[in-house]
Amino acid sequence: MRPPRHPWLLTAIATLVTAVFLLPVYWMVKTSLTRPDRIQTPDPQWAPSPVTGENYSTALGYEGLTRALLNSLVISCGVVALTLLLGVPLAYALARIRMRGSGTMVLALLVAQLPPAIVLAAPLFILERRAGLTGTYLGLIAADTTLTLPFTVIVLRPVMRSMSPELEEAALVDGCGLPGVLLRVVLPLMVPGVVAAAGLSFLIGWGEFLFGLTLADGPDVQPVTVLLNAFIGQHGTSWGALMATATLISIPVVCVFAVFQRFVVGGLTAGSVRG
Amino acid sequence: MNQPSARRRRTGYLFCLPGMAFLALFLAYPLLYNVWTSVHDLDLGQLLGGAERFNGLDNYRSVADDPAFWHSVRLSLVFTCGSLLLQFTIGFALALLFARPFPLNGLMRSLLLIAWLLPPVVSGTLFRWMLDAESGAYNALFQAVGLSGLSHDWLTDPSTSMAGVVFANVWVGVPFNMLLLLVGLHTIDPELHEAAAIDGASAWQRLRHITLPLMRPVSVTVLLLGLLYTFKVFDLVFVMTGGGPVDATRVLSLYVYEVFFTFFRFGQGAAAGLLLLVVPLLAGVWYVRRLRREDEAPAGGAV
Repeated sequence: MRPPRHPWLLTAIATLVTAVFLLPVYWMVKTSLTRPDRIQTPDPQWAPSPVTGENYSTALGYEGLTRALLNSLVISCGVVALTLLLGVPLAYALARIRMRGSGTMVLALLVAQLPPAIVLAAPLFILERRAGLTGTYLGLIAADTTLTLPFTVIVLRPVMRSMSPELEEAALVDGCGLPGVLLRVVLPLMVPGVVAAAGLSFLIGWGEFLFGLTLADGPDVQPVTVLLNAFIGQHGTSWGALMATATLISIPVVCVFAVFQRFVVGGLTAGSVRG
Repeated sequence: MNQPSARRRRTGYLFCLPGMAFLALFLAYPLLYNVWTSVHDLDLGQLLGGAERFNGLDNYRSVADDPAFWHSVRLSLVFTCGSLLLQFTIGFALALLFARPFPLNGLMRSLLLIAWLLPPVVSGTLFRWMLDAESGAYNALFQAVGLSGLSHDWLTDPSTSMAGVVFANVWVGVPFNMLLLLVGLHTIDPELHEAAAIDGASAWQRLRHITLPLMRPVSVTVLLLGLLYTFKVFDLVFVMTGGGPVDATRVLSLYVYEVFFTFFRFGQGAAAGLLLLVVPLLAGVWYVRRLRREDEAPAGGAV
């Protein structure tokens, strides 16, 4: 590709496109900072004046919001922990150890990403109800991990494959067991891949809605996404408070993305498309 | 490393066991249980265990006899085709733009991805507000640029609410389409374009005769992944319209939810759910086989 003649012209076009595209996100933040009496006017303001935190205190005063934010944090961290705990050894075995059935397992992990969540939520609701798991963090963490574990293994396996095996062999010769090799040699080398998997798993756990809606059983373990949906029903026209809630939910997402961006994008596109 | 001893293999199986056992218990078993539920008469009374009566294909029959089911199948088709067509086209156009080197390219690209990363519940809430009839930003915007003909009560009018949810879903899907298509564009040898340009081919001709044909395999992949994701969409539509107004946006996933979690007709919900599972499975199996031929694992995208 030759360098374009007017690179800044392209920058201008891209800026315009991005601005138009991200207008809803700007509007969310703007609305959340606008005085409630100035939100619903026939001709909206483009910038909040004066900036106010009123909507945030209204939202945080709503029943259960702080609890729900905490619940979501517990669930997301639980999802990350469980996903890595189960996924890292599994990915390593599938990448490095010749076993019968590993091809079948990889295929199973690919197919595992296909079922729509609603098809799984329905039987899980019955089975978790019978096992006493509805209304527990564990029940939600396990349900969310069915979404994160398959793709985590699929993303990590090629990363592990691409590392040169000499270090592992040296450690094995030195009498280190396989679990030790995994912990002391492989994991430190795989930080980017593991961070990407952890970041994506966190985002999925944080944003998950349907399992929360069907398996949470009340405010004790309800994630914040479910509460936001409930707020629409209860406070349908308090757009300021709704947008403050939505912004609060989005902040961790943008933070995680900003920190892990390079890892996440790399993990997403790793091998997904080859021309 | 290349002499798999029996002990090493055993350790390997031990490494696999927890993860695979977990997926067997929380994913495979529930899905199979769904099949079992679909041929039994199961409702709230027997939720905590009881004598479910085997009723063969009765549940499938009642679903097939339900006009609301076929209505939701049609809506799913409209929703999926509309979303795919628009997000692919817009994603492709953006990919062509971002494939050119220019200052701040990476920053803009990352910013666009935010739309795709936001939880769908947040996006849904957001678009409820943006499309609000009284004071939504889009209607204000249309009026500001003299397109007041486009100001409309999008989500509460049954004839336009589908357009509203497709619009929101396209917004969510465009960045992902763009990202994958961009990866594809980068694999095209720039010398091809240079040679064609020297031969006097216009930019349009180069796009038509070089870029588009070479992008075909990538495009198939992107469209297929898009199909898989779009078919699964639940949160976004549920939050935006709840399937309304007057069933105008009750796509298949929302129909299954309603039968199962609102009416507690578990058997029928399971039967309808299985039909929702068939399309992604068929498409997915075909895709995986195609990839295997290329011996390459796809990235698991977050849905």
